[in-house]
Formats: sequence, C-alpha cells, structure tokens
Amino acid sequence: MNQIEGINIAVLAPVLIINLILIIVAVIDLVRVENTRGPKWLWALIILFVNLIGPILYFIVGRRNN
Amino acid sequence: MMSQWITLLQKELVEMWRNFKWLWVPITFILLGVKEPLTSYYMQPILDALGGLPKGAVIKLPEPSAAEVLVEGLSSYTSIGVLIIVLTTMGIIAGERKSGVAAMILVKPVSFISYVTAKWMGGLILLVFSFFIGYLATWYYTGILFEWISFGDFLHSFLLYSLWLGLILTFTVFCSSLFLVPGTAGFISIATVLIYTLISGTLTKWMKWSPSMLTDYANQLLAGQSLPTAANPAAAITVTATIILLTLSVVVFRKKELAA
Amino acid sequence: MTLVEVSGLKKSFHGTEVIKGLDFSLERGKCIALLGPNGAGKTTTLRMLSGLMKPTSGSISFSNYGKGEDIRHLIGYLPQFPVYFDWMTAKEFLQYVGRLAGLSSREAKGRTMELLKRVGIEEATNRRIAKFSGGMKQRLGIAQALIHRPLLLMLDEPVSALDPFGRREVLELLEELKKETTILFSTHILNDAEEVCDKILFLHKGRIVESGTMEELMYRYTEAKIDFSFNQKADKYETLFAASPLVNSFKIQGDTVTVEVTNLEKARSYFLNRIAEENWSLSKFEISSMTLEDIFMKVVGNDEPVDNTITKRIG
Repeated sequence: MNQIEGINIAVLAPVLIINLILIIVAVIDLVRVENTRGPKWLWALIILFVNLIGPILYFIVGRRNN
Repeated sequence: MMSQWITLLQKELVEMWRNFKWLWVPITFILLGVKEPLTSYYMQPILDALGGLPKGAVIKLPEPSAAEVLVEGLSSYTSIGVLIIVLTTMGIIAGERKSGVAAMILVKPVSFISYVTAKWMGGLILLVFSFFIGYLATWYYTGILFEWISFGDFLHSFLLYSLWLGLILTFTVFCSSLFLVPGTAGFISIATVLIYTLISGTLTKWMKWSPSMLTDYANQLLAGQSLPTAANPAAAITVTATIILLTLSVVVFRKKELAA
Repeated sequence: MTLVEVSGLKKSFHGTEVIKGLDFSLERGKCIALLGPNGAGKTTTLRMLSGLMKPTSGSISFSNYGKGEDIRHLIGYLPQFPVYFDWMTAKEFLQYVGRLAGLSSREAKGRTMELLKRVGIEEATNRRIAKFSGGMKQRLGIAQALIHRPLLLMLDEPVSALDPFGRREVLELLEELKKETTILFSTHILNDAEEVCDKILFLHKGRIVESGTMEELMYRYTEAKIDFSFNQKADKYETLFAASPLVNSFKIQGDTVTVEVTNLEKARSYFLNRIAEENWSLSKFEISSMTLEDIFMKVVGNDEPVDNTITKRIG
C-alpha cells in the first residue's frame, strides 16, 4: 500500500477511527441486546466484515426495538 | 403541560442514547458525506498504484471542483440519508402502539399533542444534529483536499437541505401515526418521497416552489450562483407543509383507538 | 357514595356487538370484581372505563367530574399484559410515569421508592425491565397504576398469569390496597373474586347477568340443602321425607337423598333428632349451602344437562 503516493495518513486516520467506533458500538450493542432478527452470529459476521454498510444494516434491520 | 412535554422529549433523547442512535446515526452521516471528497481526491493515486496498465497509458481523471464534490456528498444525504431517516423514524409512533406501550403511557393524563410533538422533536433533533455533523465533516474534507467553500454558503445550504429532510421526517411521523405497522409506514413514506421527487424533477416549470427544489437551489448556491428568487417561497411552503403534517399526525393519532 | 356511574354502555367491533348495554355503579372505597369467562367482555369494559376505547354508545360518568375534564387523573390502570420500555429500569419507568401523571420530580422520586417497596420489588429498583420476570412485571404494573394515587384502580386479570405463590402475594397486596382506594378488577377465577372483593359483577356474553355483594348473592341463591347418604337404597325413606312439613323438595339417587329445606336450623335439629331416635343407617349427613361456583354455573350456564333422578316437589 505504501506505493500509493500522496495519501496522507493524517487525513484518513479520523475517518478510519470513526469507522472503527461504529463497528465497536454495533458489537457492544449486539452483545447487550436480548434478541435480534436472525441469528446473532450472522450479525456479528455482517458487522465485522461488511465494511460501513454492515453496522448500519445491523442497527436498522437486526436490532429489535422493544 | 410544558413540564410534561419536556419529560416526554427527555425520554426520547435518553432512549436514543440507550440504543446508540446518538452514535451510529451521526457517524453514518459523517461517513456517507466524507466518502465523496476522499474518493474523488484519491481516485488518481489509487488508479496509478493499482497499475495493471501498460506503461505509458495514463488515465487522467478530470479534477472535480470543490462545489461539485460537496454537491455529490450532499446527494448521498438525499438518497441513503433519507432511507436511514425513514427507517429509523417509521416505528416512532406505530411501534409503540403495536407493542402496547403507548396504551400504558396514554392511560396517564398525557396530552396527545405533547405525545406526538415530543416524539417528532426528538427525531428532528437527532436528524439535524447528525446532518450538521456529517455535512460539516464533508465541508471540512472538501476544504482541505480541494478548495474552501465559504462557511456562510455552507450554513445556508445546510439550512435549505435541513428543511427538506425535516419535511421527510415529518411525513414519516405522520405515516407512523396513520398506520399501525411500522413497515407500512416506512414503505409509504419512501414511495411517496420517491414519486414526489420524480414528479417535481420533471415538472420543474410548475414546481418552482416545491419543497424538493430546495436542494437544487442550495446546490446552485454552492456552485457560486445566486440563490433563485423561488427559494424563499419554497422554504415558506416547506415550513407550512411541515406544520400541517404535524397537526395531521396529532389529529389522526387522536382518532385511532389505542388498544387494538 | 358513588364514584362511577355506568349506563347503557355498548361497544361494537365491525358490526358485532361485544358489550350489549351495561348499567352499574361503583361505590367509593369498595373492591369490585368483574367476573366472567374468557370472552365475556371484561377487558373491553375496562378499556372503555380507562378511556383507552370509546364506547359505541352509553355513558361513563365520574361523580364530581364534568364532561370535558380528563378522567385519566382519577384512574390507575393495569392491562392484562403490561408492556414497558425495556431499556428503562424500574425506577426510571415509575419516575417517568409519575412525571407524566403530573407529579413534581421530587414527588415522583419519593413515590417511586415508596411503591417499589410496597409491591416488593425493591431489590430490582435499578434493574432493567427487560430482565424482569412475569411476576415482577405484574408488580411493577400495579406500582405504575398507583403512582398518582388514583381514586379508581383498575386491574385486568392481575393474577391469572401468575404461579400460585405470586398470586397469593398479589392478592394480599390487593387486600391491603382496598383500604386506600376503590378497586375494580377483572378475573375469570371465582376464588380470587371471592377472596378480596366486596361486590361482584357477573359479566357474560357482554351483559351483566348478576351482581351484588357476596352476602346478597349467597342469600339470593342459597337453597339450604341437606345431603343424606345411607348404607342402603334410600327408596324406603321416601314416604318419610314426603311427609315432613319442613321439606321443600327432595331428590333420591341410589343411596343418597338431597333435601331442600326452607328453614335450615329447624330442619337440622329435626332430622338430627329423628336420626338418633330411629337409628337411621346413615354414612353421611351433610349440610351444604351453595358455593360461589354453583352460583356462577347457575348464572352463566343456561344449557345445564338434565339429570334423570327422582325429583319430587311438594305442594
């Protein structure tokens, strides 16, 4: 990746951190929540491996509110 | 009555904290917007690095202007952003009525107006906050990677977009009050917004004052043009439509039998 | 003193009349049971009283309360299946509901702690409701209904979903609450009604088919009965029972005789004397009055099976 010139880590870092926070928050919620639509392990995979869309999809679809 | 309204609003805000909406919605809005300046800026080095092209063959992408990047970023708020707004709001009333918790609350001397408007306000605060944070980040990234758009134009366009997004939120609240099933409320909301935007986009001549045109006017402003004169009446109509829809939400909700 | 007056109350769903005209009043400070089998219309009646449902016709009027005023201030209501915000703790929910009912934040806090103790879920004060058992949810439900000190506490099947232990505790709680407020609760279980209530309204197929205090009902339905079981066929005593002036009617079934009398006291001493004097070969002598269950069956069941025993009615 270091072949890519002109990419400034200082510019990308905040975005990557925010993305990481989103994933962590989704995982914490998944652990805490009683039940989800569909199996929990599947949501864990989606959150961890589907970048950006995964956690959002979990919060909108997977989470059962009340 | 005021203290009751504040109690209801507080509950909405705390609930959004407990289910992490205060975190994931703003973060999503940041990522949605910021993605645009980043990919536009880094497209060239990424293509170069990936290589695979015969020596000497160079793909030269035209460098987009700062305004183009910002408008592109904003477009994800009126597409995926709207989807998120509708999906997170569709259950706001229907969900509570369906689960039966609305009946628990409304056997207490709670005013129906307060119940509906406090929910609406909670949703609106989350929306405006998330959109502001997201758009601010997009504006900032566009500034450091391309050129700086004036902060005044940023605020002005933020306001115009907020009016449109707020109207969509209010319409979703209305549907949530009208239908018992959150999914129905969501589907009708999205379908209506889609159809309305399409009609509005094709019949531009007759739809100058349409709320959906606000985003077009904001885009023109960002591109350095002056704000069309139709922008003010369009904004006024949007605010009026929001108030009418909110009133209808209360009326419809009051008519419904709570225990189904 | 009358607290609520209900007259001509009707409710239809999609053209089907579920409540077919109710007239009753609730006395202040009393505990009233709305008793009836499943589907009798108990829940619908309570929902109309609580304002959650609008009657198709008829009126519900609270004494000293005008037409336009919000009756919800006066009412505490616990639905059959209470639902909460699962993400709240018990304390948070009670405070929230208390604030909504118009208590100041200080009052709401005080009342919350008081009620959590009262209904016996003090140890779960700061636990999230999502983790509550059914019994705890029912107790929390009673607490939330009481938060604003309502004049009328309405409970929809408060003990039906509980195990015998939980049921006992909730009934005891109701017994205590009776002293402070008017209680109307629905149930399909006779014993529960009998145990805590002063007055019973029998609801059947959308109508009140019988009502009154326990004593009134007993008096109205009791036909004092004496059961005799003999060691042999009872037929030979037929003339004896037929001749007695104290006997209203009697029924002979194999070796048992059931005698209905007007004056139970007199009849008892009369028969005890004869038994001793004539040395009847009895295996059982039993004085039975009707139980609430018998009344319930009598009131509700119009389609009683006909029994083919010898029944003779005397003059």
